[in-house]
Amino acid sequence: MEAKTAKTKAGEWRKYERVLLPPIKDLHRIDVYEANGGYKALKDAIKGEKWTPTAVTDEVKASGLRGRGGASFGCGLKWSFMPKPDGGPRYLCCNGDESEPGTFKDRQLMEYNPHLVFEGIMIACYAMSISTCYLYVRGEYADWIDQMETELAKAYAKGYVGKNILGSDFSCELIIHKGAGAYICGEETSLMESLEGKRAYPRIKPPFPAQYGVFGRPTTINNVETLACVPLILERGASWYAGLGAAKHPGPVLYGISGHVNRPGVYEYPTGMLITDLIEEVARGVRGGKKVKAVVPGGSSTPPLRADMIDGVTMDVESLREAGSMMGTAGMLVMDEDTDMVSWLRRVTHFYHHESCGQCTPCREGTGWLEDIVSRIERGEGRVRDLDLLADLCSQMEGRTVCALADAAAWPVRYTIDRFRDEFVARCRPSHVAVPALPESELEEAET
Amino acid sequence: MPKVRIDNETYEFEGRPKLLQFCLDIGVELPHFCYHPSMSVPANCRQCLVRVGTPARDRGTGEMQVDEAGNPVIQYFPKLQTSCSLEITDGMVVETHRSSEEVAGAQKDNLEFLLINHPLDCPICDQAGHCPLQIQAYKYGPEGSRFEFDKVHKPKHIRLGPRVVLDGERCINCTRCTRYTSEVSGSHQLTIIERGVRNYPMTPPGTEFDEPYSMNVIDICPVGALTSADFRFKARIWEMSKTPSITVANAKGSNCYYWVKDNLVMKVTPRQNMDVNEYWLADEDRLDYERFNKDRPAGPMINGSAAGWDAAYGEAARLLSSVDPSEVLFIGSPFATVEDNYLLTKLADSLGSPAPQYIRHVEIGKGDDWLITDEKAPNHQGCERLGMSEIDAEIAAARIQTGEIKLVYVLEEDPVVAGVLSASDMDAVKVILHPYNVTNETLHGANVVLPAATIVETVGTFVNIDGHAQRVRPAKAIRGVNRTLVMEMGESRADRHGTPFDRWHNETNLVDCQPGWVSLPEVAERLDIEMAYKGPRQVMEEVAGTVDAFQGATYEAMGLEGVRLMEIGAAV
Repeated sequence: MEAKTAKTKAGEWRKYERVLLPPIKDLHRIDVYEANGGYKALKDAIKGEKWTPTAVTDEVKASGLRGRGGASFGCGLKWSFMPKPDGGPRYLCCNGDESEPGTFKDRQLMEYNPHLVFEGIMIACYAMSISTCYLYVRGEYADWIDQMETELAKAYAKGYVGKNILGSDFSCELIIHKGAGAYICGEETSLMESLEGKRAYPRIKPPFPAQYGVFGRPTTINNVETLACVPLILERGASWYAGLGAAKHPGPVLYGISGHVNRPGVYEYPTGMLITDLIEEVARGVRGGKKVKAVVPGGSSTPPLRADMIDGVTMDVESLREAGSMMGTAGMLVMDEDTDMVSWLRRVTHFYHHESCGQCTPCREGTGWLEDIVSRIERGEGRVRDLDLLADLCSQMEGRTVCALADAAAWPVRYTIDRFRDEFVARCRPSHVAVPALPESELEEAET
Repeated sequence: MPKVRIDNETYEFEGRPKLLQFCLDIGVELPHFCYHPSMSVPANCRQCLVRVGTPARDRGTGEMQVDEAGNPVIQYFPKLQTSCSLEITDGMVVETHRSSEEVAGAQKDNLEFLLINHPLDCPICDQAGHCPLQIQAYKYGPEGSRFEFDKVHKPKHIRLGPRVVLDGERCINCTRCTRYTSEVSGSHQLTIIERGVRNYPMTPPGTEFDEPYSMNVIDICPVGALTSADFRFKARIWEMSKTPSITVANAKGSNCYYWVKDNLVMKVTPRQNMDVNEYWLADEDRLDYERFNKDRPAGPMINGSAAGWDAAYGEAARLLSSVDPSEVLFIGSPFATVEDNYLLTKLADSLGSPAPQYIRHVEIGKGDDWLITDEKAPNHQGCERLGMSEIDAEIAAARIQTGEIKLVYVLEEDPVVAGVLSASDMDAVKVILHPYNVTNETLHGANVVLPAATIVETVGTFVNIDGHAQRVRPAKAIRGVNRTLVMEMGESRADRHGTPFDRWHNETNLVDCQPGWVSLPEVAERLDIEMAYKGPRQVMEEVAGTVDAFQGATYEAMGLEGVRLMEIGAAV
């Protein structure tokens, strides 16, 4: 196959200097953070004449920052949906409930650079005139929650958070809220229900969170990594940010690379990295010198790409859409040539079956059924017609539920079978009646 | 007026209605499970999907786009929409399963999902025959199933509380029951536990579902997951007749259906009346039916021995004429109909006796501000409006003891329990009694017993605590033939659709009793008092025409939902 001509959009990525997770020892400590220019952006924003709340929002808009939580929605645009302050409470929720298989990048931020997140939160709250933020962290991150609470207390003591921040008349509370182990709580409306102390069933939209959010008040929900970008944008300017990586999806990104690579881990680079560069150079190639079989670019819900589909594909919304997948959370899973795709899919369906909240019929019933069928195929007891049934069930689930969990559960099934069908057919029991292959002429006829 | 097009028919609408409710109101059926008009809209069953489009507008000018023929260009939502949660807007175009194969397909798909883990135990399920899942699966669902695995197993026959039993496997997670306890009754006693396909409703640990309105969840459950501890497995729905009437456990007059099999009331369920009880019924109303079935009198009696009706009427008339009219105490009844109390008033009046009085039944603190009242008799308002006064038990007892009163004529009441009569008085004073039950303690000393038809066996009117006059209809038959009762009787499915070979009707459990509007004129006739009515309808017409407090309360006006009467003071 001829190699595609597309090149990396990440520019001189080999010389890239990390900004989200800079290589500074003990950066999680507030004194180290301050010594390295920390909370400067917040000071500028609150004290300087330049940064009115609207100007901050406009700057974020101009930077082209897209949400890092999976949907890649324009961050500045989202902020501008907030209605004008009416004197009542308004909320920001910072979503640190990452729990999709293959996604583990927010954890690095919360562990190694929590003050950057706090600073981003405070600036966002300032931009949207919000006085309370909930940082919703998945409960399994207990150690980092403890550490963040310690550091947050210091930030409070130093006047970066709380009443009259840095002597200004802007006040904002930050509350770290621990989840209890449910993937669905990462869905923004479900997160709000959970915060309110209710069962985390996603809400129907409209009304959207900006109109009717936490406790029925205007609310914006942003991912941890998204908000961590905000101080950088103010400090270095929107044009710096917009010039980094892919034009339509700019900025630094934390690539969480896992699977059969020599050096799995979280790597910070600009968007628009070639998938092949990430595997071969960043992650130091596939384990044991094997070939790549499949790449899941952005967490288990994004459609997997076959090895022959990744040539020239870069990690940004545009390129991945063309290639037939999605950016998701940039949690890239690499599978080598020995991987059993049936087994992989069975594990993915098990996850969604286990995590479906059970509110909507198609997801509640469908996720379990998908797992049942894929498990049967894995055991070698499936039939070829099961593959068609799986495709049917995916159609019955997609777009028919309150939230996107049903889609997230259906896509991997649909695309894995679509792209690795031979492997699935080979695992199914042969038909009882042998069907003779059609002569080629008739095949063409049938196609027309 | 703004318009909406549904399946190529155009309808006008007012306000901001939701699509599903609008469709149901105009008679366009859409399958649904979780939606209930009195509760929030979770849109979780996903059954009411429709295809929806709105007129396209130019982004720049905001003007409506039109095609070459001048018709508005319709822009369809990319996804199917749940009609329950969708607000109708002007110019909206809706395609239901009647006009869109995609919608019909989606509804079928959804029912396939709902059924894969639902136990197919309809043959032993109480809900079968009036089960929304069963009905809609037949109407809109797929033929057969493609599901070839074990169904999910969940706990079964769990006693959520003293009156409600849960079968977790039948639950389809519509959350109507949990929303009911949090939004309607406010007890917050139920929540969904577990996750995903293992979900089912449960009480918090260490508590039980015992609120006084708990049984409403049984009716709103769209499957047989929540069943009545009392009624479980007692009868199939098609074996019973269903009669619209009202309940009598308190003075609210909640609208209900009485379900009757073999002339026994099997259960009581709510009947919608937005002026009285909306969709709900208190548990005490539902469980207050044994008195219609049990401890019923065997027939008329004279001085403790069985007698024929003619003899008993004759004896009652003889006793009445044997004393001076001023020596007769007439006691009306807040348990009896307005018609019967009116006839009693008329009898007393014709004889020249003092007007009847009634015994009030109040249990202070028993009521709430919803459907349970302190007042435990259903018709004290009716008695008041007829001009009866509340009896003072002490004065009445004293007058009986001094011999001032020589005869007590009682309509469905128990003066012994009320303290008006004591057992020792019974020798000195004559008693004529129309009882419902043999548990009536006055019965033993009564000289004439004329068993009375209960609310489920008669035709008549009750006035609730708020002055709402409502009709009752016979739900079960009495011994003997009464054309008025037969004409008003509720029908079962077999009555309507069965053949003579079904041998549906039977003579078991018939009670030998008579409505007051039969027995009172019989007695009056023997005293040469004119009391010839064609039936209770005519009695009520006279009441409505002559008693101001009952203005407008004719049978036609009351219909199935009753009429609100003028306040008592205002009427005079």
